[in-house]
Amino acid sequence: MTTATDHDATSDVETPPTAPAAGSSGLPRLIEHGSRAHLIYRIVGWASFVLVAVLVPFIVATPVVFGVGDSKFTIGMENLNHGIAYMVAVLGINFLIGYTGQISLGNSFFLGMGAYITAILVADYEWSYFLTPLVVIPACFVVGFVVGIPALRIRGLYLALVTLALAVVFPSLVKLDSLADKTGASNGKVVRSELNSPIDFEGFGDSLARIKGIGGWFSGIGSRQENAIWSYVLVTLIAALCFLVASNMRRSRFGRALVAIRDNETGAAVSGVNLALYKTVAFGVSAALCGMGGVLFTMAVGTLSPDTFGINLAIFLIVGLVVGGVGTTWGPVIGGLVIIFVPHLTSQVRSINGYELTGDRPYGTLFLGLLLIALTFVLPGGVVDGFHRLRSRFVRVVRTPPKELLTGR
Amino acid sequence: MDLFLNRVFDGLEQGITYGGIALALVLIFKATTLINFAQGELAMLGAFLVYVLSVEQGLGVWLAIPVAMLLSALLAAGVERTLIRPFDPADHLPLVIITLGLFLVINSAAGIIWQFNPRAFPGIFPSGNALRIGEATLTWNTVCMVGSVLAVLLLVELLLNKTKIGLAFRAVSSNLESSQLVGIRVGRTLQLGWAIAAAIGTFAATVFVARPILFLEPTAMLRVLIFASAAAALGGLDSLRGAIVGGLVVGLIQSLVVGYIEFIPNELSLTIALLVILGVLLVRPAGLFGTARVERV
Repeated sequence: MTTATDHDATSDVETPPTAPAAGSSGLPRLIEHGSRAHLIYRIVGWASFVLVAVLVPFIVATPVVFGVGDSKFTIGMENLNHGIAYMVAVLGINFLIGYTGQISLGNSFFLGMGAYITAILVADYEWSYFLTPLVVIPACFVVGFVVGIPALRIRGLYLALVTLALAVVFPSLVKLDSLADKTGASNGKVVRSELNSPIDFEGFGDSLARIKGIGGWFSGIGSRQENAIWSYVLVTLIAALCFLVASNMRRSRFGRALVAIRDNETGAAVSGVNLALYKTVAFGVSAALCGMGGVLFTMAVGTLSPDTFGINLAIFLIVGLVVGGVGTTWGPVIGGLVIIFVPHLTSQVRSINGYELTGDRPYGTLFLGLLLIALTFVLPGGVVDGFHRLRSRFVRVVRTPPKELLTGR
Repeated sequence: MDLFLNRVFDGLEQGITYGGIALALVLIFKATTLINFAQGELAMLGAFLVYVLSVEQGLGVWLAIPVAMLLSALLAAGVERTLIRPFDPADHLPLVIITLGLFLVINSAAGIIWQFNPRAFPGIFPSGNALRIGEATLTWNTVCMVGSVLAVLLLVELLLNKTKIGLAFRAVSSNLESSQLVGIRVGRTLQLGWAIAAAIGTFAATVFVARPILFLEPTAMLRVLIFASAAAALGGLDSLRGAIVGGLVVGLIQSLVVGYIEFIPNELSLTIALLVILGVLLVRPAGLFGTARVERV
């Protein structure tokens, strides 16, 4: 099980007690790793995360509308679910770029592949959503594995080039005439399969609404909202499972080998890491995770069009990864939200300082591009790194080395 | 036979554009081993500048082209100075991210300013046929496109091989640290490389969209970038002539394969580019004319 504090095995937890002495104000406060205070610290961290994850759907089940100036912003459940689908896709990319150090730009291909396979199985063959991963995961893994084979000989920028071409190719593959009756070609594919909630969220929502002070946020849970919340629950649970799997893989022998490849390929090979096997499998795993992102995408959005999965999405996923934090456990969570909410909110801005913006122009994309460039300069480690730096001013987890080391025996 | 010739001419016309953009890619790659993913978008921006200057401002098109080339060169020099130079050239990921960011910014800025509806671009080369073989026709447009891009290649080669700046550029691309030690101002030389590359890209994009069958729009260069990357990979990423030859080969492959192999529809032509890149990098990573790289461990 991963913890809120332990985002990467190497950072954050300081091994020797060389952390700067606590200042006169008592900050940063040092917490000994494994102590009781550390346990409480972890529990509080996780509990607040879970609390937010549970309460947010009840807030946005009826779309939240708020105005700034003459612009009105709406945030609904579908935006949130959409973002969670992207989280899993960014997680897949993180596996490749963040852990293995292979610059792959083409993972939107697998996101699209997973989304389309799911849509076809659910809409045309009337499968349940829950069975589609049985096809999506192996299919994406195999294709990813095959794409990974060239990566054995192609490195760095060349690999980026090949994979970028992969991202550009996807929409034209979907639009092929021979696949048109399955994929719907340029018309896109619509899945009309409601997820009916078996749980009574209405009662829970009502009791939330009775809380004094903040109760007003949780109003209006009807049967339609119940289904929306149910889809959120499913999407979130599946996404959490993906994160758990990825984070455990990162800590396994396999994951450590990948990090070794990233840090020093020759060194890893000398230490007995089978480069060919590990790299291709990393491609496969990454593709499978992106495919799962695609499954969630179809569950959350339901309408697929080929051009959604083109080069812009490929770059957006990179934006998400970089903004969140390359190689961190929590980066993809931030990244998925950024990918969806930055364009969504910017597209709703009507005017800035009296300058009128027209809605159908790509201001959101412009903003994401500027954000990408700016963050590379200002905060290369992404939001997660910024958060950790900020937190380390107040609280630090330190490890006490075994006594034998301290006494110098 | 006539149809075959027509397809060859068509392929040449497309291929020379790929070659032109590939030339710009190669120029930057040669100096910094960086693939500029925003090269196509910079070129598209340049073509829009030509459009604005000639159609909206009423400048003659042959005056507008050099002005736009100069402007885009200045822009690229500024981009190099502010966004690229601060980073370590050996660390690829931040540079890839920066050029991808540039891609998004330029593409969407063009979309915001000029919107996504296609515009007819003024023709810049004389119309009519230069050569008729049976039913096959070689238009003056094709001849002029190929000729002008070859002339650009010649100019760049002259610049690199006959001038002192060119000598500095070659020194930097062969060994960055040593050239720094002998007093070459590496930063400025690379900046010049970016500027020239942007100017070449603008020219190639302009002759590309000036083809009678094409329109100018912000997404015009996306496919071209992928084909140009295939061309550059085929030619060997650090060979200028290789870029042009690679471009012509990719253009011909595209035109002939789509024309003759029935089960490959036009939409799949991008896949051909992908396969070319893959095949070349797998079989001969240094490309046709490139220098093989040896890595010291």
